[in-house]
Amino acid sequence: MAFLELRNLSVDYLMGAQRVHAVDGVSFPVEKGDSVGIVGESGSGKSTLGLALLRLLGEPTAEVRGEALLEGMDLLTLAEKDLQELRWRRMAAVFQKSMNALSPVHKIGKQMADVYRVHHPEASREQAKQRALETLRQVNLAERVYTSYPHELSGGMMQRVSIALSLLNHPDLIIFDEATTALDVVTQGQILKEIQYLERELGLTRLMITHDISVVAASCSHVAVMYAGRLMEYGPTAKVLRSPRHPYTQGLLRAYPSLRGEKTGMQGIPGALPDLKEEIPGCVFAPRCPWATEDCRQRRPEEVTIEAGWRASCPRAVEGREPDA
Amino acid sequence: MKRYVARRLLTGLLTVVVVMVLNFVIIHAAPGDPVRIMAGMEHPSEAQMEELRVRFGLDKPLWQQLFIYMGQVARGDLGTSYTYNTPVLSLIADTLGPSALLALTSCVLSFLIGTLLGLFTARHQGSWIDSTLSYVSYFFDSMPPFWLGLVSILVFASTLHLLPTSGMVNLRAQNTGWALGVDIATHLILPCGTMTLIQIPGYLRLTRSSVSQVMQEDYITTFRATGMSEKQIFRKYVLKNAILPTITVFGISLAYVVTGAALVEIVFAWPGIGRLMLNAINRRDYPLLMGIYLMLSVSVAVVTLAVDLLYAWIDPRIRLK
Repeated sequence: MAFLELRNLSVDYLMGAQRVHAVDGVSFPVEKGDSVGIVGESGSGKSTLGLALLRLLGEPTAEVRGEALLEGMDLLTLAEKDLQELRWRRMAAVFQKSMNALSPVHKIGKQMADVYRVHHPEASREQAKQRALETLRQVNLAERVYTSYPHELSGGMMQRVSIALSLLNHPDLIIFDEATTALDVVTQGQILKEIQYLERELGLTRLMITHDISVVAASCSHVAVMYAGRLMEYGPTAKVLRSPRHPYTQGLLRAYPSLRGEKTGMQGIPGALPDLKEEIPGCVFAPRCPWATEDCRQRRPEEVTIEAGWRASCPRAVEGREPDA
Repeated sequence: MKRYVARRLLTGLLTVVVVMVLNFVIIHAAPGDPVRIMAGMEHPSEAQMEELRVRFGLDKPLWQQLFIYMGQVARGDLGTSYTYNTPVLSLIADTLGPSALLALTSCVLSFLIGTLLGLFTARHQGSWIDSTLSYVSYFFDSMPPFWLGLVSILVFASTLHLLPTSGMVNLRAQNTGWALGVDIATHLILPCGTMTLIQIPGYLRLTRSSVSQVMQEDYITTFRATGMSEKQIFRKYVLKNAILPTITVFGISLAYVVTGAALVEIVFAWPGIGRLMLNAINRRDYPLLMGIYLMLSVSVAVVTLAVDLLYAWIDPRIRLK
């Protein structure tokens, strides 16, 4: 069994009598040491997926189904007490808006020490401080950050603080939710490099939720492409990005400019996201897919395996040819 | 920090001077002639009125009067009241104590009770206590203080005979020491209770919505994800962030402590500055009115500064370098 295994994970948001199918039957394995990029446009359900794993979705408004097995333990059904125990020790997170990731009226160091002591209540103030300073050094921040307030730091520095915070209690798995999105490309590049270095040093497994394929290309071993709450394609980054099999992945890649290589025209995907409140019997991408057949619209496509560890939910994927653009 | 305080003191002083000039002009421009009222007759003779005008310096042009007044104030003299024929300073000094006692007590009480209730309802949103308190708070919020005062007199003093109707001390008893303290406290219950009840709803709703807002902040999500207990998150992180707007409102209400209670003071015949002010307005007692307004603007300036300093101490984001 994989280190982390998502099986048929679904999340519905309940809005009055309506159900929004934010995540719909997503399954993929994550091996220890893997770094999996979850990409998709806004509203594809990628952030919801991350929050569901962290069990941070509000109970009355969100209904989570399926399984998320962390070394065989189902994160979704774990008792509250065990969950609190596991949080930050096994699974930590770095969130999108790092400027708001910590309380603005408390010093950064104090908050880090507090978080450390949640799981090490026996640790002295000094021990907690030492551990916090250690993680700050790991992300190349000066010691003075410990006595600073969040507003005294730049966005990039706060992002590093968020990463340091996630490392505090030696987690195995870190979920990055759009963690580098708000940064300029230079800072983003540096931080991605540092993350990869730390990953190798500390043996971390990483889920990287992002809408930026270049982030995935630069830093992830695997990629999961999501669209309208469903998994379109999953496989090793190098293979998926070089020869995408799912029409949606192909479209997504065509919509990105490339720095090197031939100068080709950029192309958007015509159409818009479907209404997630409706039950869609067939493929969610069918209305925007140039190759959609009547069958695609009627029946949910089965996942096809292209090769071991690489699959896509489209019958065309197995043919393995890039359709004429 | 020192420079910040010095700068704030200077702007505060400037504000007070500007307010003084404005007040002077507005009060003198308002209709009503103090001389006519002082003469105390339906049709005073021209000569009598002229005599009074000269005596109080009201015959001089307005700008001259203003300079004379400013000069007086600079020397620490607020002038003599037309109607009481007593120095304004001593009139204010006599009434300031009772006013501050009533207003400060109710300000602090309503701040404490309102904030605590707000925190409680925020933690138990949707519970029956929450909805009951929300109805009750709307009830008191929409009630005029003088009316609540009258009703409470009717119920607790006239009908139940539990508490005195008005005043600050029992003049017949001539109490001293402990007995005097107890006497003042019993007289304080109704007016102070009235003002407290009126002010609680504001704090309650402000705190409740402030807490709900802070609970939505990203850093609360971070702390939840770390496995920190809800209790610790609330006590340590929600509280300090949510209390900030409450402190601002507390500061504003403190600034109006002295005059805000005027109507309640009148209903309960409380010997405070609010009552003095209304009398001064009715009788066009310019020096007294100016003196009270000056006091008010000084107290607003001082309290605003104090609240800003307190704020800067709690919220590092607005600390100026």
